[in-house]
Amino acid sequence: MTFAETVSSARAENRTLLSEVEAKAALGDSGVPVTATTLAQTREEAAAQAEAMGYPVALKVVSPNVAHKSDVGGVVLGLESHNEVAEGYDEIIRSVQAAQPSAVIEGVSVQEMASPGVEVIVGMTTDPQFGPVMMFGLGGIMVEVLGDVAFRLAPLDEGDARDMIDEIQGRQVLDGVRGQPPVDIGAIEAMLNRVSEFAAAHPEVAELDLNPVIASPEGAIAVDARIVLAEA
Amino acid sequence: MSVPGHPLDRMFNPKTVAIIGDKGPNYMWLRNNQPFKDQGGNLYSVQIDEKEIPGIEELGIENFTALTDIPEPVDYAVVAVPRHVSPYVMKDLIEAEVGGAAFFTSGFAETGEELGVSLQAQLTEMARGANFNVVGPNCMGLYLPRVGVRFNPDVPVADDGRVGFVSQSGTHSIMFSLVMGANGMHLSRCASFGNAIVLDISDYLEYLTEDPETDVIAMYVEGVKDGPRFVKALREATAHKPVVVWKGGQTDAGARATMSHTGSLASPHAVWQGIMRQCGAIATNSLDETVDAMKVLLHAKPSSGKRMALMAMTGGQSVSITDAFVGEGFEVGRLTDQSYEELSSFFNIIGGSYQNPLDMAGTVQGKREVLERILGILDADESVDALVMEQSAMFGARQWKDHPERVEDLVDTLAGHIERSAKPFLMVMHPAHEEAFVAEVRLKFAERGIPVFASFERAAAAAARALARGTRS
Repeated sequence: MTFAETVSSARAENRTLLSEVEAKAALGDSGVPVTATTLAQTREEAAAQAEAMGYPVALKVVSPNVAHKSDVGGVVLGLESHNEVAEGYDEIIRSVQAAQPSAVIEGVSVQEMASPGVEVIVGMTTDPQFGPVMMFGLGGIMVEVLGDVAFRLAPLDEGDARDMIDEIQGRQVLDGVRGQPPVDIGAIEAMLNRVSEFAAAHPEVAELDLNPVIASPEGAIAVDARIVLAEA
Repeated sequence: MSVPGHPLDRMFNPKTVAIIGDKGPNYMWLRNNQPFKDQGGNLYSVQIDEKEIPGIEELGIENFTALTDIPEPVDYAVVAVPRHVSPYVMKDLIEAEVGGAAFFTSGFAETGEELGVSLQAQLTEMARGANFNVVGPNCMGLYLPRVGVRFNPDVPVADDGRVGFVSQSGTHSIMFSLVMGANGMHLSRCASFGNAIVLDISDYLEYLTEDPETDVIAMYVEGVKDGPRFVKALREATAHKPVVVWKGGQTDAGARATMSHTGSLASPHAVWQGIMRQCGAIATNSLDETVDAMKVLLHAKPSSGKRMALMAMTGGQSVSITDAFVGEGFEVGRLTDQSYEELSSFFNIIGGSYQNPLDMAGTVQGKREVLERILGILDADESVDALVMEQSAMFGARQWKDHPERVEDLVDTLAGHIERSAKPFLMVMHPAHEEAFVAEVRLKFAERGIPVFASFERAAAAAARALARGTRS
């Protein structure tokens, strides 16, 4: 499905929030590294997709009504075998139905697990005064508690992405602390620039989160993605 | 000097100024603008109230009962009439093809009441329809120090101003102009633009960008109506000269509706800071920070280097000056071996030190040639990007009062150093117990282009903001 088709189908269903599967497909097509993600609608499909993808995998609920998947038991990580995936599928369906009975469950996404690294956040939003802006920050507690993020107007110019990365208070974490190797800064820069280009090419995208992105010496890859369309 | 052909050029370079509706007993606007007349400008009053006319004529200012009766083309007008009269005045301003008019008159949309809002809409429609330059309303208008057009009786008339200032607030325009003057710095042009119904911040910014009399631009902003236009004008301005943006109203408004994490983190303050960096503007948060940044931009040579040579008079101050500069991200490292060798040949290390920072009162002891020698060594040291020197009012005030020639001598020494050196030089003089005296002395330094700061912290913060001129480091 092209992004235009995804947008029309969301419009037809009168929703502005794209699913994680839709968002990752669109970003992946635009050159943003995302973890391989497929939609399974039965336990057998999930197990077969995991088999094809290679272990370990993660499973996440796909529902237009669930805002925070882990809060309703909609996420299971580190599954290593056919049986674990099939059981994980059932477990997610059960937990989400129990926690949020009204939720419409479209299925479960089967996802490649990223190698360990530093969690960062890459995002875009539309400022009411200045228009589209890009954001970069460290993930987890740094963004939640400290709001340690940097903004720039989109589209980014040459050097902007690097300035954003260098501006955050926790910048040193990316250079490796406590024996951790430094992450690939160039890969984060490239991701910020790709997302900026994606936003510029698609003005109907009002907001976008890649949270978390796992940055490591090998690169940067988005593990979760969210796209919010502007009201039609 | 001007920007020929620019739509704002006439009002920014007036030969004829009309004050409309000024009243006794003070005749504030006529008196503010008396220097314009004294310097040969045509200053006229427009007033129809017969009771006011004798008082106006007593000031030696010719009054007309209609704007259109003024024999010369009017380049700039100040309007101080009651708000309900303002549309009639606007009609005359347009008919007389005045170059631009500032409406001191208030009581418009800022009141939030129906009459004010509708009067403002009426003025806006009239002015826009005629392509007429309106400053304000609800503002203090223009301050043009060279020609003597003023918005306050205490702001200086001066022909050496190099700072253009644009402000949403009238108070901040006046305060900035006064405090700059008290620090020996003058403005080239200033616009207080209030409700900005026609001319907005970007219009003034565009003029100042082109203005050959303006080397540095500063502005006070609360909000921007047209964000993208402002960003474009700001980027263009910073490509030509340093721009300092003092943002008022930093408190974040309530969170807006958002479905993303990014949206919830995008507070107006955070986004603003990012845009300022991206545009190469220097962001400040207060009057003092803005004035301090001006000292650096006008009087310190540019440098993106971080390695400071610090000179203090005592041990305690050596520690404090180092804390302040390290706290702002500067480095206070070793000098070269050659510098140490030269310093060791004459430095008094009893009660002193020639490490970096230099603790040097016991060595200098008021001797000009010794200070010059130290400055020369630090200037030549390739591991030093910038020099900062403390002068203590604690010791100095008594000596300088007893021997005023020592102040002149020190000023000469430092001004001479600055002239010879390519590196930035900053001076810190805490007023200590001598506020009034130091204010006087500080001016002597400032008038010779020596940037003097009131504390280590303010000097360090200003250096961190402005030494690199807002360019990307």
